[in-house]
Amino acid sequence: MSTTLRTVPRPAGKVRAEAARPRGTRQRSLLHSAGSQLLLWAYAAIAFGPLLLVLIGSLRPNAEILRAPVGLPSSFDLSNYTRAWQTASISTYFINSLTVTCASVALCVSVSAMAAYALARWKFPGRALLAALFLSGLMIPAKLGLLPVFYMFQSMGLIDSRIGLVLLYAASGIPFSVFVIMGFMRGLPGELEEAARIDGANEGRLFVSVILPLMRPALAVATVFQFAPTWNDFFYPLVLLRSGDKYTIPVGLTRFFGEFAADRGTLFAGLVIALVPLAVVFALATKQIVAGLTAGMSR
Amino acid sequence: MPRRFGAIGVVATLAVTLAACAPGDSGDGGGDAVNLKVWGWRQEDVAAYKKIFQIYEKAHPGVTVEYVPYKNTEYDTILKTGLTDANGPDVAQLRSYGLLQPLVGSGSLVPLDDQVDKLSGFPKPILDGAKGDKDGHVYGVPFAIQTLHVIYNKKIFADNGIDAPTTWADMIAGFDKLSKAGVTPLANTVTDKWMLPIEQEIFGATTYGGPDYLTKMLNGSAKFTDAPWVKSLETWKSTQKYWPAQASGVSYTDAQALFTSGRAAMFPGGVWELAGFKKANPQLDLGIFNAPPAPGASVDKTLVPGYVDGSFGVSAKSRHRDAALDLVRWMATKEFGTALSNELQQISPVPGVEPQDELLAQALKGYQANPSPYVTYAYFSGGTPTAWDLASEAFSDYVLDRSNAADAAAHIQRGVDQWFRPKN
Amino acid sequence: MVPAQELTVRPARRSRRRAGRISAGWITSFCLPAFALYGLFLVVPLVTAFYYGLFRWDGTQQGEFVGIGNYREILTRYPLSDEIPAALGHNVLFFVGTMAIQNTIGLGLALLLHRNPWGKRLFQTLFSLPYLISPLIVGYIWSLLLSPTFGPINFALRAVGLDAWARPWLGEPDLALPVLILVNAWQWIGGPMLIFGAALAGIPQELEEAAAMDGASPTRTFWSIRFPLLIPAVGVITVLTFIGCFNIFDLVYALGGSDGGPGGAMDVLGLLYYRTAFRGGSNAIGESSALAMLIFVLIFGVSLALERTLRRREVH
Repeated sequence: MSTTLRTVPRPAGKVRAEAARPRGTRQRSLLHSAGSQLLLWAYAAIAFGPLLLVLIGSLRPNAEILRAPVGLPSSFDLSNYTRAWQTASISTYFINSLTVTCASVALCVSVSAMAAYALARWKFPGRALLAALFLSGLMIPAKLGLLPVFYMFQSMGLIDSRIGLVLLYAASGIPFSVFVIMGFMRGLPGELEEAARIDGANEGRLFVSVILPLMRPALAVATVFQFAPTWNDFFYPLVLLRSGDKYTIPVGLTRFFGEFAADRGTLFAGLVIALVPLAVVFALATKQIVAGLTAGMSR
Repeated sequence: MPRRFGAIGVVATLAVTLAACAPGDSGDGGGDAVNLKVWGWRQEDVAAYKKIFQIYEKAHPGVTVEYVPYKNTEYDTILKTGLTDANGPDVAQLRSYGLLQPLVGSGSLVPLDDQVDKLSGFPKPILDGAKGDKDGHVYGVPFAIQTLHVIYNKKIFADNGIDAPTTWADMIAGFDKLSKAGVTPLANTVTDKWMLPIEQEIFGATTYGGPDYLTKMLNGSAKFTDAPWVKSLETWKSTQKYWPAQASGVSYTDAQALFTSGRAAMFPGGVWELAGFKKANPQLDLGIFNAPPAPGASVDKTLVPGYVDGSFGVSAKSRHRDAALDLVRWMATKEFGTALSNELQQISPVPGVEPQDELLAQALKGYQANPSPYVTYAYFSGGTPTAWDLASEAFSDYVLDRSNAADAAAHIQRGVDQWFRPKN
Repeated sequence: MVPAQELTVRPARRSRRRAGRISAGWITSFCLPAFALYGLFLVVPLVTAFYYGLFRWDGTQQGEFVGIGNYREILTRYPLSDEIPAALGHNVLFFVGTMAIQNTIGLGLALLLHRNPWGKRLFQTLFSLPYLISPLIVGYIWSLLLSPTFGPINFALRAVGLDAWARPWLGEPDLALPVLILVNAWQWIGGPMLIFGAALAGIPQELEEAAAMDGASPTRTFWSIRFPLLIPAVGVITVLTFIGCFNIFDLVYALGGSDGGPGGAMDVLGLLYYRTAFRGGSNAIGESSALAMLIFVLIFGVSLALERTLRRREVH
């Protein structure tokens, strides 16, 4: 369904001119799309090439990687993977990362959705100020508050606690989520809500049964944009967690890097193990992201 | 309007709650099972420490000791914060010299002078690394001495008919021979700047003169910018043509890999590299030597630079202070020193402990005979900016030809002058 | 692409807000959770950092009140006094370079995909994939790839006879910052591509077709029809890029270490803060808090101004 093929009612005067040059146009557009495909594949090689090198490297013995950095594995050998899996307790890190990330994203998106809805739809004193306060958070480099956060956690008994991390991540995602959802809500017609209100629904029920479903594309965008940075964050857990069995993947990996600095094959295997699950989730979610963004942008 | 004030009110209340954070309680915990947490920055040593502490656990039923390693580069901050509460370490690996001072200043550590009798048997220069600048108390039991050498691949040397050199000219002749044979003589890194001051000590120590010059620097009669020290930079840089191709982009791990894979014949670095090299390539036959006096050197003997790596101290907030003190007392014994030396392939500073490893024994002997200081790291790191940081930056510019030796020295001197006051 | 357009059919903006009065109880219960989290974990730490910055510290022990003493200290002490403007300059160059390279390529890819929907989802996924990887790991992977001794990139360049191109990428002061810009673009290209793609999808097709039929060249169609409609997207991307570029830390740290690469060519404000906080001396908390406040004021002020001007543009 490419744009050029779609038929649209055309002004009569143009018809003859159009009919006169069908072959040339067709050929040119074929050439064009072949050229575009080439460019797209070329960039795909750039985007995916480095990851491919890591993937291939993870199947090669270290000595071979050092001798010839580019090359195919001489034999199919998973010993790097066994070593990586056994040494670095990646399964533990993985579960921690998953718990912390999911909990914080869920918390963040739900509180942001409520606040964004109220700020976009209701009129109350201080509304503009509150909205500005949330949005200004977009520009706050949160990492600069690391030391104060540490002392605060210490006084609250949240050091070495996954709950502390969840709260912190949820908070740091609020500005962006509010920004996205509020923008989306502003572009959304209010008729459905009005109707529900006239039917006598209270604000809570209205929000849950009418607004939330309408917001879905924006929620998807907020979720995805919150998910990856949280999953990948390394600094907070490094300073705020103490015991190895609570480590998330990035911190676990740095420990692993330290231990296997010399053994690139095993290192690569560890990276692949850490990356694959996220890549799968992302591939599955692309459709939602694109839909959400499109909806958000075309307001 | 009222809502706005409400908002500010909430923030203010939170700030107040925050300010009222109470420190954790100290004192001894329950009498039965004691678990001591020992924090450190050596992630690669977990297995070895486990073995070492098993010896202690066997002799002290009811006590378990756990080594908890953190990332080397972030360890200092993590420790600084960890020492502020009882959930932190009981015993911690401490950095030496200037890097130890912030912990002493905040009262996070227990002074050990009166607690660990065996400390009196340690040589004074060794204890210097674990002392508080202001009060002169010892805050840790030193655990390792690091010495700096040129580590070489014996097989490559033999293949090319080279011996460990005894004169500078010999050494350069050997480098030339290797270059001609297509082997990179020196696996130097440039991108990892912290290695640069180490390389400078290894090749330049004889030019400025080692301990004698340090004494003058400390009493204010010599500076980084004086000729001997500036020339030591030139001596070091004169080996540049024997560094790897495109050395400016060679990282520390690249340099290690160049050496362990046999593509480079030598690696200038600390003894701590030996264990890692053997693990990376068990077939490697290693040797060490130190750079002989360079032309125009201030001394006519080969110097061996070395320093105290770190010590084990007790957290003032530990819930098990007595048990922790017992543990560090043990760390001052020969039993611990020997175990550490054997398991970790490190030189123990405990008096009377001889390394069983041949190379370590050679390193220690050399250091004891002709010791030389690691000036920027050990003696000019007590203020901000540290000479170590300044030297790393200045040397990077210098080897990239963005400045000359005098500029590099001036950079260090200018930074250090802001806080360093000569003694006497 | 269709649902989006359905949503854009919007009624007059004003009417929907007349939703009757909402009780204070509802307002509080909807806004308070987000406000409390945000206030406690984002605002309070910053306020605290400001407070910390007013004192001298001895390790973790709070010392006497010094007012602006820490600020004076970090702005005058050598070499920090030179490093702060240098780092700021690198942040600016990094931002400009990223705008020019990452966002232009992102737009180009979005246009290509817009015209050739074949395999669109696959390409979108492939191009955005690097975004998923932690910047720390991205930096680590690229430093391995770009190594002059064991890196596959130089290995491949030499193999095809381009020896002169095989440079020590991360070791030359002149190359380090451009390499950083490219690696960063490699990771984040999916962002502008998706945002531009979404904006393109929102452009009514009739407009484009009308232009095409009038015989306008693709270039003219782009500049006269599409680009003006993309301006809001450009605004969003500019602000996000600015914030991203001035907050950068992990990637630079992994590519060039905490000292900021060869000759400090990659030193940025984030690294500087890291060094003062993590490798500073006794007064690290005081000095790093002061530096944090300076960085905060800078980022916050500029992005606020940026947002203002962009919004004013949009109105015109």
